[in-house]
Amino acid sequence: MAMLEARDIHVRFGDRVVLEDISLAVEPGEFHGIMGPNGAGKTTFFNVLTGRVRPSRGTVRIGGEDVTGLSPHAIAARGVARSFQIMTLFDEFTARENVEVALPEFRARGFDGRRAAVGDPAFAAAARAVLAEVGLAEKAETVAKDLPYGDRRALEIAVALAQRPRVLCLDEPTSGLGLDGVTRLAALVAGLKGRLSIVAVEHDMEFLFGLADRISVIHWGQVVAHGLPAELRANPWVRRSNLGRLQ
Amino acid sequence: MRTPPHAARLVTPAMLMVGLVLATVPLWIAKVGLYPYLGVEILIWSLYALAFNLLLGTAGLPSFGHGAYFGIGAYAFGLFQFNVAANLWLCLGAACLAAAAAGGLVSLFISHRRGIYYAFMTIAFSQIFWVLAVKTHSVTGGEDGLLKIARLPADFGVAAIDLTSNTALYYFVLVVFMLGVVGLWRLTHSPFGRVLSAIRQSETRAAHLGYPVRRYKMAVFTLSAALSGLAGGLFAMAQNSAFPDVMSLHYSGIVVMMVLVGGGLVSFWGPVVGVVVYLIARDVIGAVTNAWMLWFGLLFVAIVLFKPEGIAGAVQSGRAALAPKLRRRSPPLAAAERG
Amino acid sequence: MLDLLPHLINGLTLGLLFALIALGFMLVVGVMEQINLAHGSLFALGAYIALALLSPNPPLPAGLAEWWLANPPGRRYVVAFLIAPLAVAILAIPLEFAMRRTYGKDPLYGLLLTFGAAMVIEEAIRLVWGTRDYVLPTPPAISGGFIGLDLIWSTYRFYAAAVAAGVIGLTWLLIEKTPYGAIIKAGAHDSEMVRALGIDLAKLRTLVFMLGAALAAAAGVILAPIWGIRPHMGVDAVVPAFLVIVLGGVGSFWGAVAAALMVGMVVGLAGAYASEWSLLSMYVLLVAVVSVRARGLFGKKSILEA
Repeated sequence: MAMLEARDIHVRFGDRVVLEDISLAVEPGEFHGIMGPNGAGKTTFFNVLTGRVRPSRGTVRIGGEDVTGLSPHAIAARGVARSFQIMTLFDEFTARENVEVALPEFRARGFDGRRAAVGDPAFAAAARAVLAEVGLAEKAETVAKDLPYGDRRALEIAVALAQRPRVLCLDEPTSGLGLDGVTRLAALVAGLKGRLSIVAVEHDMEFLFGLADRISVIHWGQVVAHGLPAELRANPWVRRSNLGRLQ
Repeated sequence: MRTPPHAARLVTPAMLMVGLVLATVPLWIAKVGLYPYLGVEILIWSLYALAFNLLLGTAGLPSFGHGAYFGIGAYAFGLFQFNVAANLWLCLGAACLAAAAAGGLVSLFISHRRGIYYAFMTIAFSQIFWVLAVKTHSVTGGEDGLLKIARLPADFGVAAIDLTSNTALYYFVLVVFMLGVVGLWRLTHSPFGRVLSAIRQSETRAAHLGYPVRRYKMAVFTLSAALSGLAGGLFAMAQNSAFPDVMSLHYSGIVVMMVLVGGGLVSFWGPVVGVVVYLIARDVIGAVTNAWMLWFGLLFVAIVLFKPEGIAGAVQSGRAALAPKLRRRSPPLAAAERG
Repeated sequence: MLDLLPHLINGLTLGLLFALIALGFMLVVGVMEQINLAHGSLFALGAYIALALLSPNPPLPAGLAEWWLANPPGRRYVVAFLIAPLAVAILAIPLEFAMRRTYGKDPLYGLLLTFGAAMVIEEAIRLVWGTRDYVLPTPPAISGGFIGLDLIWSTYRFYAAAVAAGVIGLTWLLIEKTPYGAIIKAGAHDSEMVRALGIDLAKLRTLVFMLGAALAAAAGVILAPIWGIRPHMGVDAVVPAFLVIVLGGVGSFWGAVAAALMVGMVVGLAGAYASEWSLLSMYVLLVAVVSVRARGLFGKKSILEA
């Protein structure tokens, strides 16, 4: 059974069809890449997967359960974590605090207005462990807005990981990163493969082709190509819409 | 493992100091040219402002019509006293509950929004409540107000304390105020407070982390309304009356200005600072010129433009600038947690 | 059924005036990308300045005041109607300057700033004129009533509707048929492009803001005899303005007018059944509309979506 399955997703905004019969399945532990030119509907597709947009037709299933049309928080509670293309971190919180608030055990106590959250050693320890995974252990107490760009990208990943998701949705994770940053990110994501399912929208084809088990190409709101990276290198769509740094 | 910062304590040194200072106020207030009733007003408005700041400072929600809940609390106190039972605890409870009910109802309509829509909705509801208060003459007394609200004795079973004198009332309100402070401090530093702060910084992010944002916003609005209602009930008792004007937008605007000028956006105590500044300006500057409120309003505008962290925020940055070494030892706390 | 007619006319008149207020509000939202909560205070200022000019002791130097008072009421009214919006437009300039600082920041600051400005203006009004209700004197030619179809009609309401419609028409001509209007529309649509074309965006914003303020003030002068003049009258103007752009969207001129007419009719008809509660209907309508819909009927996605 696929971990994440989108079937015949159809989205229209007014009289504009943005996504047309998109179907996609991600197996447990698979890294599924999504590529395509700007405006093709990739982010809208992500918004459908994470509950931000309701499709006019089609279904989304997580672990077999139909989650179509559920709100973002309900889908997130079912194990879907997301990073955003335009970073949304809690800028006033430290790196550790950003991660803490993403922990499911913290969220379970969200309505607790009595006991202190500050200084709870269990939360802090769990948060630091996640930060260590992304290489931000020393910067745990730095306020998020003071972190350099590359570290903020890593923090976004840490926040998503802290949710202990079954499915991790990455929206253009290499955006704005230099070559070093991309390499670092690729190593980080490679380490996650197998532990959870990953869906990543990316323009950087080298990044994607190096990590993906399978890739779907979305163009004009439709899946125009689909398959193993090796197969897609020769695909005319991929060649024609080559915006990445693939040599 | 590093020691938890003072925010984890139930009662902080700052609270003890403030409590101590406030406890001595009736002894010296007349000597500085003011009067005991001012102390009562400061405490009641501070409780109200702290409750309001749960929304603005902690959750980032602009409620521009908050006077409605203060007013509903005031009326509920009086009406309960006249029609059900003249028991202090029950009346205060009624004030709280009535305001919570109104707040809860309103929160159902507004909690899926924020920003401008939220602000206008709170204004619209406030006007609705205000018009109801003014027009339902038979219930509320309309523009003439609800009069002869008594200062009920604080009956503890074994003994009852008469609250008719301003000083006795002051101490009673002080106890309620300090309890409120402890509770609100706790709340702001609890997981709930942290989630609210996260929602303020990014609702989208919070939602995608699995938080039912709407439910949190409803909860905080209802809670804020309830405490504002409690303050309103105390106010009705202090003034021996309840008038619709506390529910007007003008009055609602005053608490917004107090909170911002004081530094509520970055500091827990900011609202209290703002209340003190406002009420002293009213009495001291107001004795000299009628335009004192205009000056306060201009101060508010200046602060929004040039120093939105307000007075308390300026003090904080001043302290941090003077003692940089100290700052490194206790790491910078998030905005919701600064004391 | 026929006795609903005066209320319908009232509703129409109110709707046209709401349209006037909302258009000014919308222009500012479009070009400055900020909501001006003080728009209602500018409306109120218009009424008060007209009041000052038309009162038995106008705030003019002695010689000028004598000459002024010697003029017939009709002429004085027309002059006041022209001067008040102009005066308010000029008084609004500092507010526009202040709003520049909050541009681009968290929208909360713009809200707080304009909220503060509204409080300051209201307080200034209180200081100068006090808190009592005033009535704006209208020249006999347009006052009073007449009887038609066995019903009593108010002459002033027809005049008010006609003038409001006229000003709306003039505004439309300005926006659609003049080069200035084209620049305003471009500025609302794409500030970058306007800058690239060498147009001083700052000056454009100031001028549009002044135009918006003038429209609000004009509406204040026209509505004053109907609603009365009191310091907090601004709220009852800014709320329908907001409601109108929620209903009609930010980008559409006629969408705003249509929405304003709808709102006016609702308030007018509410007045038929319970005159005391007519303005309340506007607030209830706002709650209903914002609870249910976010986007306008005609316009595109607006900056309100933040």
